Order: sequence, then C-alpha cells, then structure tokens
Amino acid sequence: MSNGLDLEFSFNEALKAFGVSSEIAHIIWLPFPMLIVLVAAVVGVLVTVWLERKISAAAQQRIGPEYAGALGVLQPIADGLKLLVKEDIIPAKADSILFTTGPILVLVPVILSWLIVPFGQNLLISNVGVGIFLWIALSSIQPIGLLMSGYASNNKYSLLGGLRAAAQSISYEIPLALSVLAIVMMTNSLSTVDIVNQQSGAGILSWNIWRQPIGFIVFWICALAECERLPFDLPEAEEELVAGYQTEYAGMKFALFYLGSYINLILSALLVSVLYLGGWGFPIPVETLSNLLNIPLNTSFVQVITATLGIVMTILKAYLLVFIAILLRWTTPRVRIDQLLDLGWKFLLPISLANLLLTAGLKLALPKFFGG
Amino acid sequence: MKDFLQKVNSYIKEAFGASKYLFDGITVTFDHLRRRPVTVQYPYEKLIPSERYRGRIHYEFDKCIACEVCVRVCPINLPVVDWVMNKETKKKELRNYSIDFGACIFCGNCVEYCPTNCLSMTEEYELATFDRHNLNYDNVALGRLPTNVTSDPTVKSLKELTYLPKGVMDPHEISASDPRVGKLPEEVLDWMVSSPSKEEISVGNSTK
Repeated sequence: MSNGLDLEFSFNEALKAFGVSSEIAHIIWLPFPMLIVLVAAVVGVLVTVWLERKISAAAQQRIGPEYAGALGVLQPIADGLKLLVKEDIIPAKADSILFTTGPILVLVPVILSWLIVPFGQNLLISNVGVGIFLWIALSSIQPIGLLMSGYASNNKYSLLGGLRAAAQSISYEIPLALSVLAIVMMTNSLSTVDIVNQQSGAGILSWNIWRQPIGFIVFWICALAECERLPFDLPEAEEELVAGYQTEYAGMKFALFYLGSYINLILSALLVSVLYLGGWGFPIPVETLSNLLNIPLNTSFVQVITATLGIVMTILKAYLLVFIAILLRWTTPRVRIDQLLDLGWKFLLPISLANLLLTAGLKLALPKFFGG
Repeated sequence: MKDFLQKVNSYIKEAFGASKYLFDGITVTFDHLRRRPVTVQYPYEKLIPSERYRGRIHYEFDKCIACEVCVRVCPINLPVVDWVMNKETKKKELRNYSIDFGACIFCGNCVEYCPTNCLSMTEEYELATFDRHNLNYDNVALGRLPTNVTSDPTVKSLKELTYLPKGVMDPHEISASDPRVGKLPEEVLDWMVSSPSKEEISVGNSTK
C-alpha cells in the first residue's frame, strides 16, 4: 500500500529547509487545506445548482438558464450576487438573536463535516480517528438550527416547517447511523481513510456496495431525507408551508440556508461514495495498473497523477449520485408526514437493524470477505 | 410462526414492488433527458397563430347596421352598441361600438352571427395592459389591424406543430417554405379529380 501524495509532509520538509520548526510549519500549513476545502465546497455548490437547473430543464424539455455565461454557467453566481445585495429583513416580532443564529447553526456543521471527506490517502483536512462518527454528531446539530429559525420567525408556516425538519432529521438519523455502523464493523475503524482503504483491494469488486447493498440503499434514502430533498422535502413544501422554516428569510440569511442545503447534498453524495463506492479508488486498482505498465508508484510524477485520478474519481462518483438525486426529484411525489415517519421507523429502522445483524453474522462466518 | 413468515414475505414483496415502481419512474424521467426542448424564446421568437385563431375582435364601423345580433348571441351581452333613431330618415344612426376584452371570452359567437360580416377575429393575442379599463376597446381601437408576426422584423416567426413536415418536432429546424404534413382540402380535391380510381372511391362511399 503506497502512501500517495502527502502535501503536508512535503510542505513541512520545504519549510524545515528554511530553518522553521515543525510545529510552526504545521501552523502555517493549517489554513491551506481549510481554504481549499471551503472554496471546493462553494464551487461544488455553484456546479450543483447549475446542474440541477440544467438537468431539471432537460427532464422537462426546457432549455434552462442560457443567458448568464455560456450555457448559463454563471447563473448560480448571478443568483448568489442577487441574494448578497438584497435587503436583510428581520421581521418586527421575530426573535432577532435566534433568527440570526439559526442559519449559521445550519451551515457551520455542514461545512465542518468536510473535515473528514478524503480525496486521497493524505488529501483531507484531518484524518480524525472518530471520522464518520464526527459527521453523524455534527449532522444532528443541524435540526436544532432549523427548529431555532422556524421558532424565531414567529410565523406558523416557519414553525411547522421547523418542527417537520426536526422530526425528519431525528427519525432518519438512526437508520443512517446503523447503516454506517455496519460499515464500521467491517472496517474495524471509524476513520474515513481506513474505510476507503478497506475497499481498495480488488478495485470495483471490493467496493462496499456489493457487501452492503441494503446498507447502501438505506443510507442513500436517509441521506436524501437529511438533505430535505424530494421526495422528502416536506419541511419546505411550498404548496403547503410557503417555504417552511425559510419563509421569513431573505438576502444573505436565505443564501446561507440555500448554500447549506446544497453543501449538505454534495457532502452526502461524497460520503456515499466514500462509504460504499470505494472513495478515491479507481475501478481497477492503481497498483495493478502500475504493475502492468512497470511504473514505480512512489515517484513524485506518478503520485501527482494518482492523486489527481483519486480526486477526479471521488468527485465523479459524488456527482453521479447528485445526478440520481436530481432525477429522483422529478420522478417521485412528495411523501406525507405520516408516510415519512412510517418509512423511517417501520421500514428503514428494522431493515438497517437486520442489516447490522447480518453483517455481524457474516463477519463471524466469512471473516475473509467481511473484515476480520 | 407460519403466519409471521407469511407477513414478512408479503412485506418484502411490497417493498420490492414499491422499488420497482420507483425504478420505472426513474427510467421515464431518464428517457425525457434525450428529448429535445420545445422552447419558443417568446419575445424574440413567436409562433404563427393558425388561420382560425380566435384573437382580438376586429370591427368595421361603416359596415355595421346596429342590429344588436352580436349582443344577443354574446354569452354575457358584452358589446355596447350606442345608436340613436334618426327621426327624419327613419334609420338607426350608430354613434359608438365597444367591446371590453377584459370580460370577453373570445368564443366568436358575435363574429359568427354578424349579418354584415363587420366583425372578424384577428390573430392578435398580446392584450396585456397596466389598467384593466384600457381593455375596453371602442370602435376606433377595434378597427385597428393587428401587426403580423411574419412581417415583424424584430421577431423570428416559427410554425406551430401541426404546420411542420412529417416527423419534425422542432420548428427551428425547417425553412418557411417547407410543406406541412398531410394535404390541404384543395390538394385533396385535386388528388380526387386527377386520380383514375374515382369511381372506386364513390362506390366505396355508397356501400358504407
């Protein structure tokens, strides 16, 4: 197993050459990956918004955005700028402190969760030991923010939307965590890097989707519900609740919600690809390819190529899932709140529990294939 | 135990059925992606309305005999015919005529029953105004001819779906001179006259 590209190590070595101690080098290094990931997340949102509008248009035989830039690629930026210069309104009878902290509390955990998304062996901000657990913990902060903004708006639609969002997030977090637990059981580690490495043995054949098909489906359904996307978008169901908890928001605060929901969608897609689709792994293992071509993996040129390939693969898999989410949006009708809770508690929860049990049994019976 | 297993079995079957429906739905949505858009970029492109399009009503003041048939056949008695009896000539003298297009439903009854054909329907449909009272057209406004889509140099005129050649869905693809699908009535007549099997057709009709 090669270590691949380690930019931090190279950076530290370079700074040490100038006589800087490794602690200070580490501190100088820290802002870079954060900035890169923040920029990547925002660019990802712009791309996703554009894709959503274009694919939606194609599914409905429309053209979609066309005038802002070639093929309308600048449309999301135009939307963002519009929201940026809009007046920031706080309703007269709203609780202004809660009203302002609400969207922040929704956005911050989502961005923080990018901490653990690996694009390569060393291409992530921090290989936290509790990795995937950190994401589950952070994602359960979000409903508090939603409830907060729904309550603070002092509006019946907002309150109902906030309550629905909280109910939905809480009930879908459990099957989500249980299907992650099955993966963790196979990996013997919570770290996302370990989870990907565990799937990298035989390329596409060793991806977790073949060993955890039920977990994959449960996780994807729950991820859609957590992102409040159709068919689970009832917290912001515009036909009944105007815009749910976002009703009273305008300008920058609305933009935070908007940004948060799309970053969350990309994050969920990335995590599905990390947990089930082999993360940065190429369908044919890179080691096999390099052996075939007789190229040593540890030269810096090959390292850069494999790292690029890894990033491309991760993003490709994630955007394939985003594409499926957009198709699902125009295929499925919205579920009712009782159907939503039924699906969560009576279907996904027992199924994911059974999946966990099955995984445990298979791990004991076939330790070679299900992690020993 | 058997009962329970049966329940589990039907539950699983239901779940698979539901996911099958979902998959069918996705394939339909996916199939739509390869269909071309049918968008007409409205203010820059406009469809040519069909010959019998029921748009804004045109009115010729000089032809009107103030008989008020249009008022009687109108579902809501909309046209206002303002006339006075001239005692000397013993004839109706028309002073004004107006139709409120804010209330008109463009059913065309007035056009159909007008004895002097002073009413006709145009292909004008862009009637938006800032004030609904502006939609109340008097005889001068009713007498104006609409602008033609094909003669407007700022607009690209496109043919409607039924006026396209066979198999063509996108009006952008064809030129203005391309023939429409099927035959016009006079073309059908020409074909019937020139066709050698004229008798067969009439025989076929009589036996039915």
